[in-house]
Amino acid sequence: MTNYRVCVIGGWCGNRLYMVAEHISELLEKAGYPCNVKSHSVWENYTQPPAANLVLQLLPAFTEAETGCPVIMIRPLLVDLDHPATIEKVLKQVQADYIA
Amino acid sequence: MSSRIYLDYCATTPIHASVREQILRALDTSFGNPSSMHWAGADSKQMIKQARVDVADGIRCLPDELTFTSGATEADNLALFGTLRRFPANNAHFITSSIEHHAILHAAKQLEHDGYSVTYLPVNEYGLVNPEDVRRAIRPETKLISIMYVNNEVGSIQPIAEIGRIAREYKILFHTDAVQAIGLFDVNVDQLNVDLLSLSAHKIYGPKGIGALYIRSGLELIPMIVGGPQEHSLRAGTENVPGIAGLGASMNVVRQGRADERVRLGGLRKYLVDGLQAISPAVIVNGLDEKVAPHVLSVSFIGVDAEMLLIRLNGEGIAVSLGSACNSKSIEPSHVLTAMKLPREQIESTLRISLGMPTTRDELNTLLGVITRVLPRVLVQ
Repeated sequence: MTNYRVCVIGGWCGNRLYMVAEHISELLEKAGYPCNVKSHSVWENYTQPPAANLVLQLLPAFTEAETGCPVIMIRPLLVDLDHPATIEKVLKQVQADYIA
Repeated sequence: MSSRIYLDYCATTPIHASVREQILRALDTSFGNPSSMHWAGADSKQMIKQARVDVADGIRCLPDELTFTSGATEADNLALFGTLRRFPANNAHFITSSIEHHAILHAAKQLEHDGYSVTYLPVNEYGLVNPEDVRRAIRPETKLISIMYVNNEVGSIQPIAEIGRIAREYKILFHTDAVQAIGLFDVNVDQLNVDLLSLSAHKIYGPKGIGALYIRSGLELIPMIVGGPQEHSLRAGTENVPGIAGLGASMNVVRQGRADERVRLGGLRKYLVDGLQAISPAVIVNGLDEKVAPHVLSVSFIGVDAEMLLIRLNGEGIAVSLGSACNSKSIEPSHVLTAMKLPREQIESTLRISLGMPTTRDELNTLLGVITRVLPRVLVQ
């Protein structure tokens, strides 16, 4: 199911956004859920939500009504890339979507 | 996007019409090298001479006590390195504060790396240095103290004259970075008891790339740039004539009406604070009202993601600034707000709104309207 699209949304700090996106991609792959992980900076475009199956946000950019898919706040990853509660929430959501 | 509103005057200011005219005049008529012995050189030399007088009038010093630099960062560097490198590293101590601009803090780190001893003074919760802390930090080998006049993030006005008095008492040189002060405060180097003072043109409606360091007569500094006799041999290189002319003109622009502009901006700032606090009880103004510059407003929107708020405001054409910056590993909280010991949640929800000569009440009403509308959308869930 590599066509499952995860979009990581961040702001000005492009380095951190790419690091988080890469980390999430590796983590999902390791967990057995290879996904198509992309990053999206709201500095470049915040009016148009990205097309994805799951949106992971480093800042409160979009609502689920706007994205049409589940939205998870992953702000704690700004400080700790392996923040357990946040990673668990992401894995649970991806797992549920995979099973569905 | 509707019309644009600029509220980031602490970062930089637009060029004033009269400054632009003066720069164009310099570009058109003063192309000669000021060091040349012919008429073309003399024209440029005269342009620089007049600008030196204008800038000197703005801070009440002698024209020859000014050294033009590429900006305040270079002026700060020259003040620190030029003073301290006259002494052996193991016998020179430097005092500064933890809320200085990075032009000072990074230079201080370099000095530490070179073996100099540095004390970083704390500030209170309002971002103010206690002069008695300065006195306590003084050692027999202290050679220089540098404390900024007005902080660029929260606007706290430091007790410069008082610190200068202490420095005098101990015969220690005193430098201040007055970049955020010269536009609104009647700077008088004698009354402030300063020996060195940095300033920049682009914070006072002048061009970028030009600034100056005031050096009290009789002081000897070691130059950082060598290769010519320009600027009393302290700053080699052919002078930036249009920039210098622009700095002189920008000083003339702000010098005329500092007191009136202080009152006007103070009124606008209060209007903005009242408006923001009416929008949400979770709005906290950082700094102490009586000791804050009228053009700076550091405000925390508790529970709000400040970056997203800034993005939304930018999307509506409103330019403000953030209290934190990112590095390659994480979002770095502002060193100023951190030194004030504000909680991390407060720091991360902080915006800096800074006002300037073109700012109007209508602009602030637009800002308040947009914030009212977008605030519920930028809450940290």
